[in-house]
Amino acid sequence: MDQALPVASTATTRRMRKTLLGTVPVSSPLYQLHPVTRFITLVFLGVVSLFIDVPEINILLIVMVFIYLHWAKVDMSNLKIYLPLTITVAIFMFTVSIGFPSRLPGYHTFQFLGITFYFESLYWTFASYWRLMAMLIGTIQYFSTNRERETLVAIRTLKAPFVITYFFSLALRSAGMFLEDMRTIREAERARGLDETSLALRDRAKLYVMYMIPLFTLAIRRTDEISNALYARGYTPSGKLENGVHRSDYILTKYPIRRIDIIVISAMIITFITVIILRVQFGIFAVAQSPLRIFLLSLWS
Amino acid sequence: MTAVSIKDLGWKYSGRKHFAIEHVDLEIPENSFVSVVGPNEHGKTTLVSCIKGLIPNSFHGVWRGQVEIFGQDVRKMSTERLAADIGFVFADPEAQFTSMTVEEELVFGLENIGLPLNEIQERLNWVCDLTMIGNLLDKSPYEISGGQKQRVAIASVLAMRPRIIILDEPTSMLDPLGKDNIFQILTNIKKDTDLLVIVVEHNIEQIAPLSDLMVLMYDGNIAKAASPAEFFENSDFLLQHGIIPPQATTFVDRLKQQKLYDGTLPVGLEDAIDITSRVLRNHSTPKN
Repeated sequence: MDQALPVASTATTRRMRKTLLGTVPVSSPLYQLHPVTRFITLVFLGVVSLFIDVPEINILLIVMVFIYLHWAKVDMSNLKIYLPLTITVAIFMFTVSIGFPSRLPGYHTFQFLGITFYFESLYWTFASYWRLMAMLIGTIQYFSTNRERETLVAIRTLKAPFVITYFFSLALRSAGMFLEDMRTIREAERARGLDETSLALRDRAKLYVMYMIPLFTLAIRRTDEISNALYARGYTPSGKLENGVHRSDYILTKYPIRRIDIIVISAMIITFITVIILRVQFGIFAVAQSPLRIFLLSLWS
Repeated sequence: MTAVSIKDLGWKYSGRKHFAIEHVDLEIPENSFVSVVGPNEHGKTTLVSCIKGLIPNSFHGVWRGQVEIFGQDVRKMSTERLAADIGFVFADPEAQFTSMTVEEELVFGLENIGLPLNEIQERLNWVCDLTMIGNLLDKSPYEISGGQKQRVAIASVLAMRPRIIILDEPTSMLDPLGKDNIFQILTNIKKDTDLLVIVVEHNIEQIAPLSDLMVLMYDGNIAKAASPAEFFENSDFLLQHGIIPPQATTFVDRLKQQKLYDGTLPVGLEDAIDITSRVLRNHSTPKN
């Protein structure tokens, strides 16, 4: 069943499902895939990029993620909020690379605005940036299209120990409550006349440190309450009953694994193994094989 | 049959000087509706926590006496057995939510007590009808109204079909409409099930008409335990112990003090109207 939120669009009113980082139409074809398939997509995009140095391939992966999001009918305009993050990461990485470059013998150099640039060092940063972006966009796509419940279903399907899945569930819950408590405390302070904008940076820092006292007190109280609630409802960390039998898992029955899931997961596993073999055994996907790099170096000669 | 038997019960929380409750004796029959009333900090929640087994299992302190649930010592019962036999609804519904959707919240306890999937589905349908929450299943329990949250909390416990259900101030965080909804559900539970229901509640007006037994906790002891009609007999005693009797009861008590009525005191408005009508009929002057 879907959490349906009516959202007015320009053409029609669509039923939307709230995800961890956004909303997705209930009618999205994405939901034909089992949560475990979507979760493996996250892992695949996060890990496969580690074996690929060629930036063109990582850019291609990012393009594929955007095609996937378009197919899933995700509102791409929401992704604009991540643009400052991508720019900040780029500024940080390239500043470090230009300021503190690797200066190995044989590196190609050029001068610009009185600064010496080392091409190989700069290009490695460029390749690393796109690798990082592929991982980041892969993560954003997952959290933009999935809910907490689907993540839990995925890790339970992968037979993670019950206590770990439950710990994860409570961590997701506590993160939300922590932020909500912080919002309440800040509103209470503003209601009593506190104007944060008039504070110096040091005073603002002190204010945030002071938030920790009520927040941790509340967190300890909540821990106590949730512990009692779990006990009252018969929770045992092992997930086993007195007779040693495992507790049943009702929610998993709501998500059957279909043929399409087997095909998609198999394709990702085969691709992943192929990439590892090609990278480790044959050195393919190394940065030296980047067509752009080869082209730029040809300009030197 | 006696469902809950409490003998000389005492409990002192770790780090406290005095016992929160002491020398408590109480016998509660099965299939009855019991309300525990009294001022704050006088031992109501401690008493029901002892019945549920939260004390001493989840708290540190000194225990005296004995609590038996259907003849079994509560301290010797396993977590699974306690969960299956005794349901507990906390005052703050959010404090007891452990899942990310209402549906998961409702089935969590059922999974823990080892029910098969088909029975979980059947109980889920039943409890949604009883508590009117079928339209909330896919929502997050944190995104619904206060009244809906408390209905979900009650439903999640009812679904486990315990033999005893304890509700600790279930209406304390609700608006008047939300309170009415909860009392409607309590009425349904009383009418449609054979559970022993124990409710800690401050709303005397609404809880009294439902109750078979009313227990007044004061200063860690049971100051009075009686049927509602008997419980409200001495309103001065109740007022001294922080209890304001229902207005219907107070009104008829005044009639009684003026020798206009000589029967048992009512707790509900309907009974008070009925008694008043009779008094008026008996004392009206016949016209020529």
